[in-house]
Amino acid sequence: MGSASKTAPPALGLHAEPIEVEDLHIRYGSVVAVRGVSFAVRPGEQLTLLGPSGCGKTTTLRALAGLERPSAGTIRVGGQVVYSAAQHIDIPAEKRGLSMVFQSYAIWPHMTVFDNVAYGLRVRKRSKAEIKARVGEALDLVQMGAYAERRASQLSGGQQQRVALARACAFSPLVLLFDEPLSNLDAKLRADMRLELRELQHRLGVTSVYVTHDLEEALAMSDRIVVMRDGVVEQAGTPTEIYARPRNAFVADFVGSSNLVHGRLRPDLARDGLIALETASGEIVFGDPCGRALGTEPIFSIRTVHLAFSAERPEGTVNVWPVRVRRCVFQGDFTQIHVAWGDRELVIRSAALEPIAAGQSAWISADPWRCVLLEAE
Amino acid sequence: MSDTATARRSLPRVSAQTIAGGLVAAIVGVLVLYPIFFLLQAALDVGDPDVRPPTAYGFGNFVAMGHYASILGNTVAVSIAATVMAMIFGFVTAWILSRTNVPYRQTLEQLMAVPYYVTPLLGAFAWSLLGAPQSGFINQLWRAFGGHGALIDIVTPFGIAWVMALFEGSVAFVMIGAVMQSMDPSLEEASQVIGASRLRTMLRVTLPLVAPGVLGATIYVFAEMLGSFSAALVLGLPNRFYVVTTAIYQLISQYPPRIPLAAAMGVSLFVLMFAMMFFYRRIVTSRSFVTVTGKAFRPRRMDMGGLRWVLFGVCAFYVLLSVVLPLATLAYASLQTIAVAFPTAANWTLANYRGALTMNAVRSALSNSLLLGLATATLGTLLTGLLCWIVYRSRLPGRGVIEYVAMFPQAVPRLVFAFGIMWAWLVIPVPIYGTIWLLLIAYLTVFMPLGMRTISGVMLQLDKTLEESAQMCGAPWIYRLRTVTIPLLRPGLLACWLLLFIASVRELGASILLMGPHSKVITPAIVESWFATSAELTAAMALIQTAVVAAAMGIFVVATRQVAGAGGD
Repeated sequence: MGSASKTAPPALGLHAEPIEVEDLHIRYGSVVAVRGVSFAVRPGEQLTLLGPSGCGKTTTLRALAGLERPSAGTIRVGGQVVYSAAQHIDIPAEKRGLSMVFQSYAIWPHMTVFDNVAYGLRVRKRSKAEIKARVGEALDLVQMGAYAERRASQLSGGQQQRVALARACAFSPLVLLFDEPLSNLDAKLRADMRLELRELQHRLGVTSVYVTHDLEEALAMSDRIVVMRDGVVEQAGTPTEIYARPRNAFVADFVGSSNLVHGRLRPDLARDGLIALETASGEIVFGDPCGRALGTEPIFSIRTVHLAFSAERPEGTVNVWPVRVRRCVFQGDFTQIHVAWGDRELVIRSAALEPIAAGQSAWISADPWRCVLLEAE
Repeated sequence: MSDTATARRSLPRVSAQTIAGGLVAAIVGVLVLYPIFFLLQAALDVGDPDVRPPTAYGFGNFVAMGHYASILGNTVAVSIAATVMAMIFGFVTAWILSRTNVPYRQTLEQLMAVPYYVTPLLGAFAWSLLGAPQSGFINQLWRAFGGHGALIDIVTPFGIAWVMALFEGSVAFVMIGAVMQSMDPSLEEASQVIGASRLRTMLRVTLPLVAPGVLGATIYVFAEMLGSFSAALVLGLPNRFYVVTTAIYQLISQYPPRIPLAAAMGVSLFVLMFAMMFFYRRIVTSRSFVTVTGKAFRPRRMDMGGLRWVLFGVCAFYVLLSVVLPLATLAYASLQTIAVAFPTAANWTLANYRGALTMNAVRSALSNSLLLGLATATLGTLLTGLLCWIVYRSRLPGRGVIEYVAMFPQAVPRLVFAFGIMWAWLVIPVPIYGTIWLLLIAYLTVFMPLGMRTISGVMLQLDKTLEESAQMCGAPWIYRLRTVTIPLLRPGLLACWLLLFIASVRELGASILLMGPHSKVITPAIVESWFATSAELTAAMALIQTAVVAAAMGIFVVATRQVAGAGGD
């Protein structure tokens, strides 16, 4: 985590403030959308709330912004309490000094690009000269300087997205919040904007919280990720931690695709820091316990890309199994191969291009350090 | 609610928003609930009729209504007949305009809204001139061409229903048209692809799909018919044919008035209409049919071949009966000393217009109406705009209740509501009764649902995040209303202003009860003229009123275009 730019003073006079969310609960009538979510964002860090729709990530972000009222918990921004149920503090959104980029961009169609970006500065009654300078700087930052006098309604989706970003930065907010800002763009533009946003965030050095359901976006853009489901945090960590060492079956499956292998522990086979499981059909699988406690039903998660597929028997003595190909789907960047392995099916994603016939016999193998034990439920 | 949640509610946060919310809630509460209370009190008053507050309460007035069962029967019969006709007009025209390739479709669509602006009152005057058994122009023509007696008789229950249906047909058209427009044409295509004929597709696919929407429209129209007043007043009173609304008016304005009985009738009517509106909302909100997906479809229009000119004729005929013929009739009658089908040269005159424009009573009534229209439109737009914001945008507690209360007057005929207002303000020791201030209060109350529907339609289409992003930029409530919400809502606010203005200038049901001798307004003055002076003078007055409303609309449209143009859109 961390970035080199953090040592340099942030651009646009932006801040690098910490955020702490503690035991947040949010309820809509009888529906509890968020149940005891806690996380902290370090100064200048980009944190992503990741999860399927309805997991409470957007609600959490909106509570942080002050647009939803939680029912319990504490939120601190830059050390100051902005919400606390116990202390009866609830600072209204407009006074929290945060800023937000919305999924819909929310660019005001009745104003010019300049007026849109200047809005936050005008609210703060800055001088004309300062407004002009700041808006120019913010628009240059997103390469929209040439569009200042355009009507917002004349912009394309990508351009509106940039204006929204400039507007959010221009008045030097304490923190930037992003609510799925790229989900309305087409796939190609989304990939470009992802890189650009990441770079900008590094350059500005501002603390930001980002919400998305898109795994690639989260992995590419974040210093740390908080995976949510059904209003609770499933796992928090750096992108590599989340990807390489998922805590449970949900995270393993949501963050990339995984094979889950159940088995009986064979303590007699453990060696070199590895443990071994025996599946119901008798295969022995070695894997990394990740320092986790062993439950009664231990499960290994093996990523589909971490299984190697070959026609000949590969080198090595552990985690090498003969299989029979069931079917094979060519998907461009990879080929998805379904194989019969004992009494069950495994899925492998291979970069191989040559066609593989169904019914064919083959071998698969897996690095034991990439077969990770999930936490006991 | 847990303890923490209730504690949160009590957080002291006195912002402009809270104050405005409280104020609006209080105004709505007083305007709506206070008269309702007095209406109920009067209906349950079985004590000494000359003493207020009541000396005894009971259901005696409702029992006494049994003697007037025929009036209830009349009301239901007329309403059913009118609803059936209005739905036929509405369904046929909606189907033609949304599902066939009828020529001049856009022009026809615009013309279909006009009957709503002509109003049943003008329709009743005109059709009375056309179809009265002796003097009606149509019957005069009929006899001139050798017929005997009367070809049509409009001064009958069926005539009342006919006039009501002609003008409510335009409402039915709008409602059914919306349903047909929102239907996915691929559902019909699917039926034809598997080999069903056009007729079979219509009967087995189209009709079942639009049925819930049509049923909802039917109930809505029926509820409107139950509470309608002006056609029954103009065409029913001469033959002493009463429906509930005209009976209530009669009971209140006769001497001695029978207030408790009138109140009981009003409450009964209001309960009936409330039930109808309840069913309507249930049908509209619980519709699980695919017709309403929120997506806008481009309906497939059937190619009708040469038949399309026949369909054009059908729509044009409806517009002829509801707009052209009534207005032409009034114009014709207003230019004669005595309106007859075959006037002599000496019969033509401008005296009616001269008379109407020089009569002090008419002039003061017209200027009162315009003044009230301006005030109602301006205050009403402000009130309903704030109301909509609080109901649909704020997080203030109790906003659902506020919405319910504000929409309440929709289920109460204006005449009945005005009666509640009259009764409520008579006991207040403020000399407001009989002044135009009371009319202003009444208009603001009875038109609250109209204003709310108009603004909420636009507000709900407005993405909530447009305001939230202003909030995130640090703008306080009033600042963001001024810079973001109001500019973006402008079309809705302007439409609301115009609708409230038109509605107030032409209001009859509430005005006829509440206006005092020194605070006359134009529509009741026109009705008085119809019964007390001549049809010709009345026609002139009605046309002057229509022209004034049309001119106001014209000025308004031009003015708003210019403002919009200056905005650079």
